[in-house]
Amino acid sequence: MKFGPLLLLITVAVLIALPWLVSGSMLNAAVQMLISALFAMAFGLLCGQAGMLSFGHAAYFGVGAFAAVHAMNAFGGEGLLPTPLLPLVGGATGLISGLLAGYFSTKRTGVYFAMITLALAELMHALAPHLKTVFGGEAGVSSFRMPAWGIGFGTLNDVYFLTLVWTVLCIGLLYLFSKTPLGRLALGLRENAHRLRFLGYNTHALGTLIFAVSAMFAGIAGALQSMNIEAANYVVLESHISTAVVLNSFIGGVRVFLGPAIGGAVMTFFGHVSSDLTRVWLLYQGIIFVLVMMFLPRGLVGELVERIRNPSGDGIAHTLSTLLMRLASLAITAFGAVFLIEFLQRFLSPEYRAGVTDGNWPDISLFTYDWSPLSMSPWAFGLGLFGIGIALVTMVNRRVAARKEAQA
Amino acid sequence: MSDPILSLQHVHKSFGEAHIIRDANLDVIPGERHAVIGPNGAGKSTLFHLCSGQFAPSEGKILLNGDNISGLKPAEVNRRGLARSFQITNIFPGVTVFENLRLAVMRKHNLQFVFWRSAARLQQVNEEVEDLLIKIRLTDRAQTLASQLSYSEQRSLEIGMTLASDPQVILLDEPMAGMSHEETDYTAGLIREITEGRTLLIVEHDMSVVFSLAHRISVLVYGEIIATGTPEEIRGNVRVKEAYLGEEAA
Repeated sequence: MKFGPLLLLITVAVLIALPWLVSGSMLNAAVQMLISALFAMAFGLLCGQAGMLSFGHAAYFGVGAFAAVHAMNAFGGEGLLPTPLLPLVGGATGLISGLLAGYFSTKRTGVYFAMITLALAELMHALAPHLKTVFGGEAGVSSFRMPAWGIGFGTLNDVYFLTLVWTVLCIGLLYLFSKTPLGRLALGLRENAHRLRFLGYNTHALGTLIFAVSAMFAGIAGALQSMNIEAANYVVLESHISTAVVLNSFIGGVRVFLGPAIGGAVMTFFGHVSSDLTRVWLLYQGIIFVLVMMFLPRGLVGELVERIRNPSGDGIAHTLSTLLMRLASLAITAFGAVFLIEFLQRFLSPEYRAGVTDGNWPDISLFTYDWSPLSMSPWAFGLGLFGIGIALVTMVNRRVAARKEAQA
Repeated sequence: MSDPILSLQHVHKSFGEAHIIRDANLDVIPGERHAVIGPNGAGKSTLFHLCSGQFAPSEGKILLNGDNISGLKPAEVNRRGLARSFQITNIFPGVTVFENLRLAVMRKHNLQFVFWRSAARLQQVNEEVEDLLIKIRLTDRAQTLASQLSYSEQRSLEIGMTLASDPQVILLDEPMAGMSHEETDYTAGLIREITEGRTLLIVEHDMSVVFSLAHRISVLVYGEIIATGTPEEIRGNVRVKEAYLGEEAA
């Protein structure tokens, strides 16, 4: 991949120019995307490279978030810990809690490992409301970003650049880490821990260390998050944060280096856009996850890398036209599905049913048209488009299969 | 006769009621190729598990270079100079052949918790990996995923990984299992080459391999070593004939 570094350079350049390219709301979303990209990368180290599926990574994200807020309050963004260095506190607390939790959880592997991480995170989440001095109860702990190094840190732009620098730096460090002996041993741990033991390695210590490094970067992500919103609440310890990082990383592709980051960024962006447009955006997120796992089990980036490494023998023109046909038919299918889901959601919503009087079913407005739920038209429209889309997808797949057979 | 490099003294191993190894005594002389043969279920693999630290003996002592290693963990036994391969191919399937060997070589250089150096720039490690690749004849396959190797190539890789820690004593557990004649000949040659200057303890079912490769042979039947000797002695041994070789000939 000769164009890899070039692509990376362009991406970083675009990210640097972003504040002048997009609106404030989008820039805010970009901050979130960066944070969740970094969080997913931390998770990816543990799950993708070392093969340990943690279901409780919110704990280390949360620990970092709270540590940064407390440090912000204690130091006032000056002295030893000026504002730009606060993520270090998140990283340090993540590292320490990761060492502790990792010591216990890496004594087991597979499902048992996952259960221990889940239990530890739930323990934190259950304890948090009772430890008011640390976690601030319902209200959480809030703080203010103070100016440091001649930077105000009051504007969104400043926060964006702070987050960008830390995220790029940490992802760079994670990349270098993956190239070190310890980073290579993470792969050995994933592939065959038993063999590693017979080669003379201490697999428990290795697992603990890699867990701790992953927790450290999760802590940095958490710190960036609480610095961004100038507060931390025990909501960050909730299990859906742990789940989201798992889903995002797998959607992006947990085995390829930047897969989790892309997954985290894309899904956060998707959440940002779709949560404004529809109430059932979580359903769409779930559907996307299931579809990616079913049809692109390597994840979005993983599949892309695989296609570039092992291109089909069709040549660029054929590959592109197949891709376009696939995308077009998928778009039709998706539109049909979205139409049906949105129509059903509106139809089943309590607001709509409150408006139903004496068998009088008012029209439902969707995509600028009014549709009567009692007529055939909306159902036929949605189902029809969905059906046509599926038929087209099948057709394209058959053609590809036929061509492959002809080649073979 | 020099002192044994590996010595089992009155070793006993039982799992609950099942007595797998009963009073096994075995001395392996430095530099020899020593084979353990015996019918299925005789306890050959258990014997290997005991020597390599997977299991601790219920009774008795296992000495490596005169030090008692019974009850030590696999990693510790490995550090003392005994490395083993496995009956079932035991490699890192999802990474390249090069990476497999690098992981094996790094341990020798005490590179375990090192996160401040680049693995690609470890000159000594890289050279040793290249050497191993030549020895196991997999240089052209260095960048192939281990899972995509042929069966006998995987077995070669397995042997290469066993060799990586530069052990004094190598234990090979049925290295030819499931191989064709050509592959078996090839692997026998490989084993002969790589065990030059080391001590080999090998479990193998293929008798033609055992009798041509081994300097001495021990026969394990129902957890007991009933005979040890040169191939000629073993061929002529009455008890062995009764217990094992005769059966096969009949």
